[in-house]
Amino acid sequence: MADLRPILLVEDNLKDIELTLAALAKCQLANDIVVARDGAEALDYLYSRGQYQDRLPGDPAVVLLDLKLPKVDGLEVLAKIKSDELTRSVPVVMLTSSREESDLVRSYELGVNAFVVKPVDFNAFFEAIQDLGMFWGVLNETPPRSAGSGIEQK
Amino acid sequence: MVSAVSTSDLNLDLCAQEPIRIPGSIQPHGTLVVVDPESRRIVQASANAPALLGTRSGSAVLGLSLTELVGDSAERQITSWLNNPDSNYLRTLDIHGRRLQVLGHQTAQGIILEFEQPPQTEGETLEAYYPRVGRFMEDLPAYEDIADLCAAAAREFRQICGFNRILIYRFDDEWNGEVLAEDGDGVLPSYAGLRFPASDIPAQARELYRLNRLRVIPDANYVPVPIEPPLAKGGEPLDLSFAALRSVSPVHLQYMRNMGTLASMSISVLVDGRLWGLVSAHNASPRRVNAQARTACDLLGKVLSQHIGARQRGVYAAKRMELKQVESELLTQIAASDSFQNGLATHANTWLKIVGASGAAVLHDDVLLTAGVTPPEDRLRALAEKLHEQGSDTFVTDNLGTQWPEFADILDVASGVLAISISQLHSSYILWLRPEVERTVMWAGDPREAKQLDNERLTPRNSFASWKERVKGRAVPWSQAEVDGAVDFRIAIINFVLRRAEERAELTSQLQRSNRELESFSYSVSHDLRAPFRHIVGYTQLLRDREQSLSDQSKHYLDSINEAAASAGQLVDDLLSFSQLGRTALSVSPVDMQKVVQEIVRSVAPDVRGRQVEWRIQPLPPTNGDAALLRQALFNLVDNALKYSRDREPAIVEISGEQLASECVYTVRDNGVGFDMAYAHKLFGVFQRLHRMEDFAGTGIGLALTHRIIERHGGWIEARGVVDQGAEFRFGIPRKGASFDG
Repeated sequence: MADLRPILLVEDNLKDIELTLAALAKCQLANDIVVARDGAEALDYLYSRGQYQDRLPGDPAVVLLDLKLPKVDGLEVLAKIKSDELTRSVPVVMLTSSREESDLVRSYELGVNAFVVKPVDFNAFFEAIQDLGMFWGVLNETPPRSAGSGIEQK
Repeated sequence: MVSAVSTSDLNLDLCAQEPIRIPGSIQPHGTLVVVDPESRRIVQASANAPALLGTRSGSAVLGLSLTELVGDSAERQITSWLNNPDSNYLRTLDIHGRRLQVLGHQTAQGIILEFEQPPQTEGETLEAYYPRVGRFMEDLPAYEDIADLCAAAAREFRQICGFNRILIYRFDDEWNGEVLAEDGDGVLPSYAGLRFPASDIPAQARELYRLNRLRVIPDANYVPVPIEPPLAKGGEPLDLSFAALRSVSPVHLQYMRNMGTLASMSISVLVDGRLWGLVSAHNASPRRVNAQARTACDLLGKVLSQHIGARQRGVYAAKRMELKQVESELLTQIAASDSFQNGLATHANTWLKIVGASGAAVLHDDVLLTAGVTPPEDRLRALAEKLHEQGSDTFVTDNLGTQWPEFADILDVASGVLAISISQLHSSYILWLRPEVERTVMWAGDPREAKQLDNERLTPRNSFASWKERVKGRAVPWSQAEVDGAVDFRIAIINFVLRRAEERAELTSQLQRSNRELESFSYSVSHDLRAPFRHIVGYTQLLRDREQSLSDQSKHYLDSINEAAASAGQLVDDLLSFSQLGRTALSVSPVDMQKVVQEIVRSVAPDVRGRQVEWRIQPLPPTNGDAALLRQALFNLVDNALKYSRDREPAIVEISGEQLASECVYTVRDNGVGFDMAYAHKLFGVFQRLHRMEDFAGTGIGLALTHRIIERHGGWIEARGVVDQGAEFRFGIPRKGASFDG
């Protein structure tokens, strides 16, 4: 069992935030949920800077990343996370309205861990969020940040 | 076949080697001296000069001054010409008490003066000929036809020079001379309508005729008089190209004797700088023509040349006008067509008429279209390939078999070919064809014997009796107006092709632009339109979970909101997959349709739970295509079949397939509510529904999607239905070798 690190939800739409939080609450996860409203804020959190400079150390259990975001968009945040030794091992799940194939392909090229199209059907949406929360938030083991590069080299 | 006309190359070579410009001698009916332009002294003279010009009969003339040679009075006249030599000199002068005709012309080798005693028989002055020539010129415009014009001219020439027979003949493209007009007193045989082979007048002689328009041979039995010394200043033999007394080739003299003509005079007819034909005067016995009569004939020749030129230009202009009208008619028709090739093929008659052809073909982008009578396609392609090897823009022949013997098999319809290239890079041509027209040519003597080697000496044929030849493999020649019309047309077509290419490029870039706009539009739709529906569904669900005590009516409202939003969301999803289908590439591989169908049946199993469905699945042949898309196409058909047969007990869904030579055909049949065939054409349109929404739910996109998938595979789909008895959908996917548009 991993220690219960927070889940970082990066989403600009208030309704999506509310519904996602409701879904996560429903599966009674103990993880904290941190909400970032755009890509820049998400990066601030990951690098403990700006409004997050005093946060507790440690990577989130998973980043639930919307694709379309103000300032820095989801693909840019993903690229940044996956290109940096320090953050590469943080799991990123693209959570998006887009059914565009090009987004999917691009995301996998950048190293996304999962790509989920938010279903219109609310029950399906709930199930998806709950599965994601359970898998990435609770079950998934991530390497400690210091050991990240060592594992890459094996 | 033709061209028995050709004398052997050997003969032509020997003729061509004859030194006709520098014979080193003159004819004996006059005398010739060369005067040095600086010293004005005689530097060369014909051997007979002392006899005619010597101050004492027989004394030498070489080294004399001009004054000493001709006396003061004549010298003054000649000198005044030399001081202002804008043309050649011709005068009758008194020289040492004798009246002599003097001709002068200047060359790089010196001033050449020729002296002739006027013939005893004629004393007419140039002025005497003037009224006659003037009347003739007035009459000329009345003759519209060139043959009539020549006939009138022949009569006139004979009146002036008094020879037994005048022939006026025209050279054809191969320099054979065709007699157009003749006038004679019956002493010599008639050659009217006959042809003289090209070898009668070798190329170098023709060139000389072009430069020096008039030649006279008073007696074919003459003994040449040598020029002394033989070499002019500078060490070269004296060039006699423009000398009236120039001695001619012994072969030609033999030719004259063989023809029975001992005297001749010929006058060149030049049209637009080209040797068009000759006026040829013959006399059975020796005959001299005085210089004035020659000048009158020369003038007459010039007048005739100009009138022939004018007639030809008139005929050409009229023909060009006529063809130009056809061309503009054709271009208008082409402009209204989707491609110039189709424009040509659709308006075949105009296409043929533009150059007066009986067959035509166009080869472009590897597509061959024909009109009228043409050889088989593979021969036309071979011809185009040959033209491409030659690489010329315009190809004209009335004699394909001689030019390219490998096309002997198509001469019956394509002896004449007029071809224009319409692309520098590819083998693209417009061809016009004319059939073989067998005709008879009457030669003046067997042209194969035109010249023969006899004991190493070249001898001309000795019979001029008319000789009949049947000419095969020839078409009616293309006129200059037709060839020029074709060249014009080529430019118009190339412009047309270029303009179409530009328009297409413009259209393509517009399409690309609107495609990009469409992509970004559907991208936005995918993100922004879907979200609100999700939210509605999500919030109604949350509300329902939270409020346990809702009335049934309120629950019904919430359910309706939920359903409406969910179906709107589904609609967005379907529309997006439909639009994506047009943009993504097909990933083609072998597809096991049997497996695909089994998998579909499994996936719909939960939906038909509780229904009585009888599956009748026949063996299905495999095909090639995009597996995911074909699955979707087939899924939509199966889904439809189940949907419209839901009231049946049992519902029967039959899936079958067959492999044909060129395609695989699959059929999905049900026993459902069917449809009215009157609306069959609407089935495959987006948002087209044949049933009420409350009867059968759906977004109206399924069949459109299936249609587009099949279409992108290069296939076809059709539907048959009977109301209340079921529907049948069949689609075909081309087998290997067919191309997909992906």
